[in-house]
Amino acid sequence: MIDVFFQYDFLRNALIAGVLIGLIAPMLGVFLVVKRMSLVADALSHITLTGIAFHLLLANFFAIFSLYDPIYMGMVFAVIGSLFINQLRTVYGHFKELAIPIILSAGVGLAVIFISLADGFNTDLYSYLFGSVAAVGNNDLMTIIIIAAIVLVLLFVFYKEWFFLSFDEEQAAISGLKGKWLELLFSILVALVIAASIRIVGILLVSALMTLPVASAMQWAKSFKQMFVYAAIFGQISVLSGIFLGFHLDLAPGGVIVVFAVIILLLSLLKNKIVKVSMNRNVQNR
Amino acid sequence: MMAKASTIVEVNNLTYQYTDRPVLQNLNLNVEEGAFLGLVGPNGSGKSTLIKCILGLIKPQAGKLSLFGSEVHRFDDWSKVGYVSQRANRFNAGFPATVFEVVSMGLFGQLGLFRFMKRNDRDKVMQALKTVEMDAYAKQPIGKLSGGQQQRVLIARALVSNPTLLILDEPTVGIDATSARRFYELLRKLNQDQGLTLLLVSHDVGTMTKYVTNVACLNKSIHFHGTAHEFETNPNLSSLYGYDVQHIIHEHEEIAK
Ligand SMILES: Nc1ncnc2c1ncn2[C@@H]1O[C@H](COP(=O)(O)OP(=O)(O)O)[C@@H](O)[C@H]1O
Ligand SMILES: [Mg+2]
Repeated sequence: MIDVFFQYDFLRNALIAGVLIGLIAPMLGVFLVVKRMSLVADALSHITLTGIAFHLLLANFFAIFSLYDPIYMGMVFAVIGSLFINQLRTVYGHFKELAIPIILSAGVGLAVIFISLADGFNTDLYSYLFGSVAAVGNNDLMTIIIIAAIVLVLLFVFYKEWFFLSFDEEQAAISGLKGKWLELLFSILVALVIAASIRIVGILLVSALMTLPVASAMQWAKSFKQMFVYAAIFGQISVLSGIFLGFHLDLAPGGVIVVFAVIILLLSLLKNKIVKVSMNRNVQNR
Repeated sequence: MMAKASTIVEVNNLTYQYTDRPVLQNLNLNVEEGAFLGLVGPNGSGKSTLIKCILGLIKPQAGKLSLFGSEVHRFDDWSKVGYVSQRANRFNAGFPATVFEVVSMGLFGQLGLFRFMKRNDRDKVMQALKTVEMDAYAKQPIGKLSGGQQQRVLIARALVSNPTLLILDEPTVGIDATSARRFYELLRKLNQDQGLTLLLVSHDVGTMTKYVTNVACLNKSIHFHGTAHEFETNPNLSSLYGYDVQHIIHEHEEIAK
């Protein structure tokens, strides 16, 4: 059952890509969640769609665009979108979350226009929306490997700084941390991870991969460091199940990945409930 | 004791305005090394604003501000300054970090990029937690502690970099009277035993004046700066800055016990 994944290049690609995004998406997601910015992932994934649609539109007019992967245009849009979100969050100081619907609806609006101009939906677009096991080409894989390497290195280097900033921005500023710059770098990473994950998870579900494993991790982790370990483990379980079942049952992997992430979350909540009830019993029995 | 104390904070003719109306105007204030200065003033008198100016978090429109003899915007040795903000313990209570991890943050500025916590740093964290008598809670999630305990942890975080100056903005808000008194005793001990210079903003004037060495009264500018004894025995100041009211409440609590 597993060896088939090494017989076909595309399956091997999907597997490697899955392992990588199942690692980096939830790990970056830890910071997103504790900063109460989980919805940013949603806004950025939709902006990525805008970029992809824009590329597909351009490809209709300029043949040269057909040579390139639309995901790069998606990344450019996601990075620009993340800069906008950062800016809007400062403008609307007390209503930071407003940045999300603004960017999200602007993104979807533009995407819809680009798609209709480019003669509507095709199967390619479908695979961007829901993910696909067959979609990871050699170039895609290379891009994902490079992004994963960058993310892992930066997570390691800036762990303390991002941790401090997400806990207490003001105090971090006094300690001499360059908040603005670190915030910006973080937003760009989120944009890149989303763009990289879209091939497998799909635009509509990529934010789930960044947040659901983190929500589950919260039920288990006893420290901030452990959050990353649990989030990565739960991310791996979800992504690998999604790819295997997606291939064998011919389902869109994004859906299976999210369903597994939700099951893990429910089990985590259930476990905490059981622990609480048994603790109460112990207290009562005394 | 030191032969001659040096001035740690120097504020000259400071003016700050958020809008067109100045919140602080022509304000002068010096904090000497080794002082335990209590800053009092009515709500909205600009206490937090002054603190933020001193810390370089906001930039005043006029005036001169020095920390350890260098201008604030040039000052870069922030490990010498510990700060516990007014909103400090209003962080997201569910934040998945341990007490130890929170206190470690106090060392991050000093460590800088590409450097990680070593054994020596971990010892410093435990030492700071011992100072505030919270070492037994090192592995607990920060959100599970009581308000008073969280405040102690945040003091530990401010102390861990071994600062010379510690600034606290209304640290006892939302803490019961007994914990608040224990808290002031801890501050007095840090001031007397370790020579830590303290700048404490407090609402709780009646209790606070029993612990501090000096008091400064703020309302747009500094109206009084003298010893705690001078403040307590000056009837005008006591009534203006709510001393009597707080004092009565305080006495009342004592009787109720
Ligand atoms: N960010 C801000 N924007 C505009 N006005 C502010 C801001 N922060 C404080 N103020 C105003 O400045 C005055 C002083 O506030 P503050 O320094 O917080 O007082 P205190 O700490 O003494 O209670 C108040 O009138 C307050 O309304
Ligand atoms: Mg205040």
